[in-house]
Amino acid sequence: MRDARDIIIKPIVTEKSTMQMEENKYTFKVDIKSNKVEIKKALEEIFGVKVKSVNTMKVKGKPKRMGVHRGYTSDWKKAVITLEPDSKPIEIFEGL
Amino acid sequence: MTKWEKLDNNKVSMEVEVEAEKLEEALGQAYRKVVGKIHVPGFRKGKVPRRVLEARFGPEILYEEALEVLVPEAYQKALEEVDFEPIDQPELSIKQIEQGKPLIFEATIDVKPEVELGQYTGIEVDYEEPEVTEEQVEEYLSNLQEKHVRLVVVEDGEVEEGNIAMIDFVGYLEGEPFEGGKAENYSLEIGSGTFIPGFEEQLIGARLEEEKEIQVKFPEDYQKEDLAGKDVTFKVTVKGIKRKEKPDLNDDFAKEVSDFDTMEEFRQDVLNKLKEEAEKKAQTDLEEKVIEKVTENSKVDAPEVLIERELDRVLSDFSQQLKMQGLTLEQYCQLTENTEEDIKEDNRGEAEKRVKANLVLETIMKKEDFTASPEELEEKFKKMAQSYQQEPENIKEYFEKSGQLDIIKKEIAFRKAVDFLVSEAKVNKVAPQKEEIDLLEGLSEPIEEKTQTAETEANVESAED
Repeated sequence: MRDARDIIIKPIVTEKSTMQMEENKYTFKVDIKSNKVEIKKALEEIFGVKVKSVNTMKVKGKPKRMGVHRGYTSDWKKAVITLEPDSKPIEIFEGL
Repeated sequence: MTKWEKLDNNKVSMEVEVEAEKLEEALGQAYRKVVGKIHVPGFRKGKVPRRVLEARFGPEILYEEALEVLVPEAYQKALEEVDFEPIDQPELSIKQIEQGKPLIFEATIDVKPEVELGQYTGIEVDYEEPEVTEEQVEEYLSNLQEKHVRLVVVEDGEVEEGNIAMIDFVGYLEGEPFEGGKAENYSLEIGSGTFIPGFEEQLIGARLEEEKEIQVKFPEDYQKEDLAGKDVTFKVTVKGIKRKEKPDLNDDFAKEVSDFDTMEEFRQDVLNKLKEEAEKKAQTDLEEKVIEKVTENSKVDAPEVLIERELDRVLSDFSQQLKMQGLTLEQYCQLTENTEEDIKEDNRGEAEKRVKANLVLETIMKKEDFTASPEELEEKFKKMAQSYQQEPENIKEYFEKSGQLDIIKKEIAFRKAVDFLVSEAKVNKVAPQKEEIDLLEGLSEPIEEKTQTAETEANVESAED
């Protein structure tokens, strides 16, 4: 069994994600192979919060070039989760 | 809300508290200032929320900015509250800074030391009544004569001491003419010491058109090394002799050097001028003496900062003086083999004296409540306007703009205090000791102790100007 912390990789802190926090929505980078149920469980385990819904999307890697070598950065999965209104908030800035 | 305690005579430590709301406000300002300068990945410049900023860089990043605004303001306010006059930049240390809590900082400042005034009215001083003697007038006139000498060509005669001889000369070193040893139509004043010793003396007695050989030895310390200490021969031709003639002290002379028509009037004018000068000097002497006595009577410590500042002022005055003579301070130091520090050290005693005197005077000013009234201020501006040939309004505006109004006011109050002290003093009139003063310059030992102090005091005054 994979650990919860293998699924949730890191929080995403951007202008957009910070704004969404006011709507109780938090954004994470998660394991690309994980599914919504796993993510929900992992979050509840780590932060002890009640998750209302999980929206996920795959972010394609960007084409990058190092001189003549061409390649891509890895694809990854982004999860925007919404907490129940009565849930406690996630201290997302901790350990930043 | 300011607590303060005295550390010693001129050091005060204050604890200043600033309300939490004020701090919060300042932090907000600081955030707005900082946010535009910082780049955080994931955010456009200037769009980083304060929470993110603080989490990422720690709240300290805002403190610095906030303190920069907050502390000087609070410090000024606290100063007004406790009514101290700082003489130097404060030493600040932050005691508490946290969000939601008041800001507390400690400021240690040097303040003007408290002065324990001694007796300052009814000071007994000797006052030398100014007196101008006939001799002084004569001396002045003869100096003037010197300045207006006429040169009269001597048709037939010998070179005499004090004459100006027009000469051609060639110098020979071991039979060969040497470089720089030749000149034509050179005007040499005999007895002026312009040439190497012996040259001018040997010319005495030479007739017009006479060729004379002069044997001289260059001094050992002559600046040209190949000539120093060498015996040389000069062949000198006297081409002309001029005699200096002093003008007679008659009405014509008076007309020439002054606006007066007769010598009688001019002499009277000189007398008046000299008298005025002597009176002025006597007055300043008197003031200096009174101030000195009052200072002696009071208990006062001169803080190092003030002495240092006074010394800096002396030094800058001095370098100004040098500049007028076309020297920089560095050059002067090189010439006299002194350093700035040496000059400062030499002046330290006097500076300390002045600082003390100033402190005492200020205390008296406060105690007796001497301030400059608007009328007096107006008067002062008028006077200044006259000497600068400006409108009084302009002068006033200038001082208001440059923030020097207070300085002027202080000056007036200062003047008042000095006048007060002098008017309150018991003045013993004594006969002038004129000869001694005149002799002082040449004499190694002053005849009487008293005259010496008076003299040095006067020097202090002039050095200040």
